[in-house]
Amino acid sequence: MKRPRIGVFKFTSCDGCQLTILNMEDEILDILELFDIAYFREATDKPLRGQFDISIVEGSISTDWQKEDIVDIRERSRHLITIGACATSGGLQALRNWASLSSYKKHVYPSPDMITALSTSTPISDHVYVDYELWGCPINKDALSETLISFLIGKRPGIPRYSLCMECKRHGIPCILVSNGEPCLGPITKAGCGALCTSFERPCYGCFGPKDDANIESLMRYFHNLGLTQKDCISLLDKMNSYAYRKVRIEGSK
Amino acid sequence: MHTGRCELKAVSKIIKVDYLSRVEGEGGLVIEIKNGRTAKLRVNIFEAPRFFESFLRGRPYSDVMDFTARICGICPVAYQMSSVHAIEKIFCIEVEKPIRELRRLLYCGEWIESHALHIYLLNGPDFFGIESAWAAKEYLPIAKKGLTFKKLGNKILTILGGRSVHPVSVRIGGFYKTPGKKALAALLPELEKAYEESLKEIKWAVGLNFNDNSWDTEYVSLTHQDEYPMNHGSVASNKGLIMPMEKFIESVQEYQVEYSTALHSGIKRDSSVSPYIVGPVSRLNLNHDRLPSEIKNVIRESNISLPVTNTQMGIIARTVELAYAFYEAIRIINGYDEPDKPFVDFEIGAGEAVWITEAPRGILIHRYELDDAGHVKSCTIIPPTSQNFGHMEADIYHFLQNNADKSEDFIKKESEKIIRSYDPCISCSVHVMKIEK
Repeated sequence: MKRPRIGVFKFTSCDGCQLTILNMEDEILDILELFDIAYFREATDKPLRGQFDISIVEGSISTDWQKEDIVDIRERSRHLITIGACATSGGLQALRNWASLSSYKKHVYPSPDMITALSTSTPISDHVYVDYELWGCPINKDALSETLISFLIGKRPGIPRYSLCMECKRHGIPCILVSNGEPCLGPITKAGCGALCTSFERPCYGCFGPKDDANIESLMRYFHNLGLTQKDCISLLDKMNSYAYRKVRIEGSK
Repeated sequence: MHTGRCELKAVSKIIKVDYLSRVEGEGGLVIEIKNGRTAKLRVNIFEAPRFFESFLRGRPYSDVMDFTARICGICPVAYQMSSVHAIEKIFCIEVEKPIRELRRLLYCGEWIESHALHIYLLNGPDFFGIESAWAAKEYLPIAKKGLTFKKLGNKILTILGGRSVHPVSVRIGGFYKTPGKKALAALLPELEKAYEESLKEIKWAVGLNFNDNSWDTEYVSLTHQDEYPMNHGSVASNKGLIMPMEKFIESVQEYQVEYSTALHSGIKRDSSVSPYIVGPVSRLNLNHDRLPSEIKNVIRESNISLPVTNTQMGIIARTVELAYAFYEAIRIINGYDEPDKPFVDFEIGAGEAVWITEAPRGILIHRYELDDAGHVKSCTIIPPTSQNFGHMEADIYHFLQNNADKSEDFIKKESEKIIRSYDPCISCSVHVMKIEK
């Protein structure tokens, strides 16, 4: 059987999700037997050529040239999978979507005119059709191998879409929100991390993004009763997945 | 074969590397040679800017470690360490010894993971003339060894922080939760084996082929009287510079160049700004006398002459530090007793502080100013790679002085190799935007 051709692409991001591929220390050599990694700039010198069976895309769209590049990559790809909070939700850098870009540039660069960036950072799915999304900041490496293997055998990946609370219950972790009264985003956040923060006795900060049909308003009312201000609540949602939480919140209020 | 002089005289060419590969982030290289001399040389950075220093403004102090970690997926711990220490300094927090040691252990995990990635998967293939760590059968055993080391580094990070990329356990005053002695001790057999193996790797690295590109330059790192530096110390250089962290930031001039979205930096002296290098080579040159005698012996037996003056030998310094990180992890775990409380209590207050720690790629400078409520008023983040850009260009410039007449392919490959020997992390360096592509 001909090995499917994989391309790994990066837009605006920290490289952490593509590093997840190299962090599959036990599986990577097997993966290389099953797939032809034909483009992966972080790990090989291979130039960009031809079509891909699967393109794995990290990072958000935040410059003009990226808008063009993502269309080119889509046209080269039979399937396109986005990985991580930047690619699925614009990432931390999407916080500029709710601020003024000119003031942002001024804070970082002495000569802001030399810098050209879009005023927004947006997920890949705002620009091209995406076949499958892997959420998380960073993604879970087991979810990535599950997705790749599912592709090979032609099934839908078994990635949870329910909330983090399910994962906490399964791990027998006492509820931080109810027992300790700490503002935990677990009820509105996708499972998939393995209940990491809560196992370290800290509330979830939402790095896997909103679960489908999350009732954000209800949780915010609960936080309000715990004594949090409106500003505190927004600050909790406005992190690596601010774009997605804001979107789900607006949709939920309609 | 061409050896003629007239040909050498007439050499004019433009050499372009559109995309640097086997580095983290997005950059390229342009070299223009006119009449056999380097007329223009620049490492282009077109990684898109993310404006961290802007969106951190107004955020509560407790967000800072989670946010800055996202600057880099390869060295998130470095960002957490520089920021947590800076903020603790503002709040006048002194952590207890077990916490200090656990943070050092966390750093050992990151040094191992990051160094192993660079030595075996990114830089190693250069010395074998292959395009990736899996491009040649002969290289696979070497790659596998690297993966075994890397996995162990990630294991330390996972036990201490839940996951290796953007760990979740670091907080102001200590950790959200500390591991039990047993969980850490379980790592010891693997660590001891890896340490023994890694000592041999120093000799392996010394045996690789290096082009000599030595020149008199300035090495900068932290230095500490009792230990090889990670989280504490003063800033020192081989040119007599020695100063506390908060003074060093005043000596660094960050400057913007039109072809890069990463700010460059140099050391201010009188009216000039001169490039300097940070990272494993600098650390080793300035701190080798703090290494344990066993590693010192291997350095002596391997005939590594110190200081290392050829930055292409970064891979040697990295293997020395890989061995040291294993040694240190074993020492810390053996002496560890779980603290009664994972963090100390503190009071929030206004203030400003600078802290510098040793990221795998060199000193990482953070400065924060907080208001009374503990919200960020302003901050400065100077990553190691942006400090190295100026030096990287100077290094290639030196190389070209003797090699401008060589083939384009040779110059291209060797220049890329020089850049890669810094283990540049372009994602980090860019608080940043595409100018040229």
